[in-house]
This record gives sequence, C-alpha cells and structure tokens, in this order.
Amino acid sequence: MTKSEQKSRWLNPLLAALLVAGVQTAALGYMIEGRASILRSGRDVLLKTVPVDPRDLLRGDYVILNYDISRLQPELFKGDTPREQEQAQVYVRLEKQLDGFWAATEASFQPLASAGDSVVLRSLPFAYYPSSSSSSVDVEYGIERFYVPEGEGRTLEEARNAQALSVNIRVDAKGKAQIREIAVNGSPVYEEPLY
Amino acid sequence: MYRARLERDFKHWVDKGLLQENAARAMLAEYDGRESTFRAGRVLLILAALLLSASILLLVAANWEALPRLARVAGIIALVWGFHFAAAWLTQTGRTTLAAAALVLGAAAFGGGIALIGQMYHLSGDAADAALLWFAGAVLSALAFRSAAMAAVAGGLAWFYFATVLKDDGFNGAADWRMWSVPALAVIVVLLVRFTSADRVRHLAYLLVLSWLAWLYLDNASLAFSIGLAALGLVAFLAATLPGSPLRALAIDAGSAPAFYSFALALLGFTTLQYEAEGLTTEVLTGAGTLLVALLGIALAGAQNGAVRYLGYVAFAGELLYLAFETLGSMLGTSGFFLISGLVVAGIAWIVIRIEGHLANARRTEAPQ
Repeated sequence: MTKSEQKSRWLNPLLAALLVAGVQTAALGYMIEGRASILRSGRDVLLKTVPVDPRDLLRGDYVILNYDISRLQPELFKGDTPREQEQAQVYVRLEKQLDGFWAATEASFQPLASAGDSVVLRSLPFAYYPSSSSSSVDVEYGIERFYVPEGEGRTLEEARNAQALSVNIRVDAKGKAQIREIAVNGSPVYEEPLY
Repeated sequence: MYRARLERDFKHWVDKGLLQENAARAMLAEYDGRESTFRAGRVLLILAALLLSASILLLVAANWEALPRLARVAGIIALVWGFHFAAAWLTQTGRTTLAAAALVLGAAAFGGGIALIGQMYHLSGDAADAALLWFAGAVLSALAFRSAAMAAVAGGLAWFYFATVLKDDGFNGAADWRMWSVPALAVIVVLLVRFTSADRVRHLAYLLVLSWLAWLYLDNASLAFSIGLAALGLVAFLAATLPGSPLRALAIDAGSAPAFYSFALALLGFTTLQYEAEGLTTEVLTGAGTLLVALLGIALAGAQNGAVRYLGYVAFAGELLYLAFETLGSMLGTSGFFLISGLVVAGIAWIVIRIEGHLANARRTEAPQ
C-alpha cells in the first residue's frame, strides 16, 4: 500500500497535458473529417423511411429510421452466399427510380463494381445465419438514427404517420453512407452542414 | 473502518502494556499520512468531478440548438485542453487531488466530444467502437499523468465498453477480436493499476474477466466449457495458495486478490457444472465436488484471506441447501424440507466453528516464529 511513495512522475505534467489533449483532439478531428468528407464528395441518394422514437442516454433524443432497402429480398442476391454462420457484409446496388427515390436492384456478399448511374452501398458487418430456404436479409448501413433537439422527435413521428418522410444520404466511393438531409413531403426540415 | 479498528486495538494493547503509547501514536500518524487513506474532502471532490462530468455529457445529449454545432465542437475541445492543462498546473503545484478531479473532467469532456460527433453525423451501430475510443483516451491520460484516478476511470470505461457490447448484440456473430477485446481491456487496466499504484482498481479488472467468462458460458453453455472454467479456476487457485508453489510468493505479494478471484472462478466453474449436471447421481457428485472445493479453499487460504473464507462459507452453505432441496425436499414435503434445512444449517454452523477454531490454533502456533 505504500507503493505510492515510490511512484514518481515520468513525464513533465505540461508535456503530458499537451500529449493527451493533442491526441484526443486529433481523434475527434479524425472522426469529424471522416464524416465531412463523405458529405463533401459523396454521391446523392434519396431514400424512403419509416421512423419510431426512442432515446439514447449519451447522445440524446433520436428517431429510428427504417428504409425500404433495410430488408433485402432473396431474389436480389447474386453470387455466393456464406454456407456457415459468419460475420458478413452485404454490398447493395442502388438505382434511381422514376419517382426520384432510389431502390436496391442487386445485392451481394462480395464487393460490387460501380456501373453506370448506380451507387453501391455497403452494409455494416452483421451476423449472418444461413437458412435452407431463401429468405430476406435485414441489414443496417449506419444511417438508422437521426438525432434531434430534445422533444423535437414529435414532428418527425407525425410525418412518419403520414408516410411523408424522405432521407437524402451521400455515399462515398467505399460504400459508406452519411445522412445529409431529412425532408417531410419533399421540403427539408433538417439540413446537415459539413461541420 | 480499518482506521477505527486500528485505533481501538492500539488502545487495548496500550492498556495491557503490550505497546508504548508514543509508538501507537506514531503508527497512527504514519497511517494517516499515507496517500491512500480515506479523506472525506478528497472523496467529495472526486464525486463533484463525476457530477460535473455527467452535466457535460447531458448537455451534449440535450442537443441544445441555441449553440451552433461548430461552437459546441469548439467548446468541448476547449474543455479537453483546459482540463488537461489545469491538471498539469495543479500537479506541478502539488495539489494532486484537484489534479485528479481535473483529469476526470478532461476524460468526461473527451467522451462528450465523441458523443457529440456521433450526434452531429447521426452515427448508428458503432456504440461499442465509440466506447473503445473513449477507453483509449482515458488510458492515454492515466499513462501520461501516471494518475491512479484515471486508472479507475479506465477501469470503469472498460466495464462501460463491456455493457455496450452486450447491449448491442453480445458476442454472437461479432468478429472474434470483439470477444477477446474484453479480457484484453482487463489486462490493460491491471497494467495501469501496477503503473499508477491504484491498488483497489484491480478489482474492476478481475470482476470484468469473471463476468466475461460467465457471459461466455451463458451465451454458449456446454459441458466442456464449464469443465474448463472449473479446472482453470482450481489450477490458478492451487498455484496461488499451495505451499511450495513457485507462484505463491508472487500471489501473496499482490494481496488477497489472486487467491480470491481464482477461488471465485473455480466456484463459478462448479456452479455451471451443477447447472450442466443431469440425473440424481451426477447432481450429487457435482455437489460433493463443489463442497470439497469450498472446504479446500477455506483450508488452503482461509487463515490469511478473509474474503476467500467467507466466499467458501457462502458456497458451502448454498451448495448444501441446493442439494437438500434437489434430493430430499421433493420427497419429504415442505415441513420436512424446513426440518432438513434447519439440521443442515446447524451442521454447517458446527463445521464453521470447528474450522474457525482450527484456524485460530494454526495462527497461534505460527505466530512465535
């Protein structure tokens, strides 16, 4: 218990503060830039949603967004599917439909090459359990939450009830998605600045 | 607690003429001078830092629109720099408790920054990675400042990470490294504890590993796994306590924790074995094994290690009651069950009294050496 008396400083406290604050700031800056770069140079995609309303203790109120492309039908899948339970990622080709919304036209467990006007979106890693009958696959893309100022989830909830909510996302070359704008009946309610 | 007992015992010994009064006073003064001694003011200060930390995190969570986003980011980064440089200045001027509080606040500001960016860009599905980043920030701070308080924060954040992983999806279908990341974090915390001499924080790490093993069992119950747990616990316990074991000196040097937690692991293994056992004979055999382990623990480490002794008693009594309930309770009906339980508890009491007497004898014969 008396070890604390032998314990000595090994780093000048000012250096320590510089190191810790510097590295932590760099980590935060890296997180911000990773996201801002998708917003800056990603491609625009418009999606239809269905939200509900819970709360995250640390980050505050958010609305859960569910998309048409969150459930992939078996006939979309091309190429091999894993035969055993594993950690899998799915690549989904999105193409613009006549009504302006984008829909999934192809899905695969292997990377898809971008072709023509389509955009390839990559799912988050998830646990894939193969089943004997071909069944739909539920995936997430990291765009399933939209944080709103405390108490403002209502507006979006009502829009959900009217089925009038659309989400504009940007997708970078690696297939990573970032929410850019949420619109009710086509008019934007929350537009996300770069920073 | 210990301070009051020490003072009472000193008074007793001084009255009996076993100890000089000035020697007793000098010993108490030495104890009070130690850095690890409980001081109400110090504890309240750290509690205040934790409350302020919560206020930072909730301010972020409120997503307050009066401040533009960029101002919020700038504000939280300013807090990170401010608290760490305040800690540096306080360390240099020798006010270590205030410095520890400033470091805790700095870690909270960093966590608030991570949460704020998650909120700004509506990140989802990455809560465990965010918790891991927060933990890494706290570890860096504990290392750079060699701060015991930050080692405690890192221990707490390791638990937060574990809870976040469980809340997300568990280890089921997650990548392999995710499963092993939990004991890796525990090892990092133990190393921090050694580096910063934050002795009590080690329990956070040990308990984390135990809970992780228990969770793995619940997630993936199998006979082989519970045998492994029981065997691992027993081997570790014997290595830590068996006279003649090369690791015994090292374990005793680390305090009562190695013996206690390896004993707890062995008992955890036997509890899962009991859960796996089917049929009366196997149940009784496993039960007998658990009773033996409990007695072995008390016999090997009970004299020096109060924690092992009490865990042994609890396991012994619990196992006996469980066995009585499984084998006799169903046949004799409720009244008979209470009769048996009463006799069983009386039997335990008799054994405990015998053991306590035996341990006291053992200590008396050891003392003169």
